[in-house]
Amino acid sequence: MFSPEGALDKNMKVLVVDDFSTMRRIVKNLLRDLGFTNIQEADDGSTALPMLQSGEFEFVVTDWNMPGMQGIDLLKAIRADASLSHIPVLMVTAEAKKEQIVMAAQAGVNGYIVKPFTAATLKTKLDKIFERLG
Amino acid sequence: MSSLPKIHISLEQAKLLVEYLESDQQDKANELVADIQSPINTELFAEIGKLTRQLHDSLNNFQVDSRLTDLAQADIPDAKERLNYVIERTEEAANKTMDAVEAIFPVLDTLQNQVEAINPLWEKLMTNQLSLPEFKQLCIEIDLLLKSSETETNNIRTLMTDVLMAQDFQDLTGQVIRKVIDLVIEVENGLIGMLTAFGLSSDSNQKQIKPSVGDNLVEGPIINSQKRDDVVSDQHDVDDLLSSLGF
Repeated sequence: MFSPEGALDKNMKVLVVDDFSTMRRIVKNLLRDLGFTNIQEADDGSTALPMLQSGEFEFVVTDWNMPGMQGIDLLKAIRADASLSHIPVLMVTAEAKKEQIVMAAQAGVNGYIVKPFTAATLKTKLDKIFERLG
Repeated sequence: MSSLPKIHISLEQAKLLVEYLESDQQDKANELVADIQSPINTELFAEIGKLTRQLHDSLNNFQVDSRLTDLAQADIPDAKERLNYVIERTEEAANKTMDAVEAIFPVLDTLQNQVEAINPLWEKLMTNQLSLPEFKQLCIEIDLLLKSSETETNNIRTLMTDVLMAQDFQDLTGQVIRKVIDLVIEVENGLIGMLTAFGLSSDSNQKQIKPSVGDNLVEGPIINSQKRDDVVSDQHDVDDLLSSLGF
């Protein structure tokens, strides 16, 4: 993930998970704008998990409310899997109950963005996540 | 409901009954008992008959008056289709808009690159360091830039119009959603009517709309955050909440 100089490697493999294709497209475009070039998509937690287990993803952006496996459960599965637990996870979701936000934080989410959101917010949160990890 | 007549049994009948029983004439005794009871039975059957008829009529009226059948068989399936239509239209609009936006970015990049390419020579001109051949080169490049600007800005204009037109979904989906709201109101009134008819109380003084909650407290987008104290209103609230808890 980090090149020898310690700067963030924007060529890292990113997985965008959301059951609405329009939202995946938006997030993908915003990430591309910020320099990320290696982005893949999944339409549910249940399709994302196998992709994560067989690919070498280094960052996950996920929605919460998905019909098969919810984002919160995907997050928990990532943190429970020794080969995946190191991957930073950013939640981008319309779920806005305080209890849910705390739930996500306690489950190990690295950032929580509520919809509707701005491109600036996404950039800020990404910077913060990778700053903390660096 | 009229009260049942009292059992009228005379002393003679009672004596006769005892006589039959003592002389082991069970059939006759049973017959006598039946005779005594029969006015009561007739009355009872008449009452039951009346109630049955009333119930039958009520059920018939209910089916005929209410729109239950129509609602179940036509209007609700129609509403589902309408809402699917809304999803389709909004997805289409979103994709059209994003197509236009994605087409515009390269156009802007091209313009930006061309301007940047010219800058060095232009700088030299502004600082009086430009040679004549370089000046000729600059003129050619500026000429190209002016022409391509014209083309590209026209392109952008077209694409922006596409974005504008893609917003037409709002009108169509708005109309469709209004129809579904009308249907929901009708179903709501029908249900309340049913509850009232069966004498069940319907508490219409709800103070707060309690939405349905799924696994992991999932509720979807909150539409009335000002009326609730268990949700955040925006990203600032999220950030404040998380930092207040040390995350």
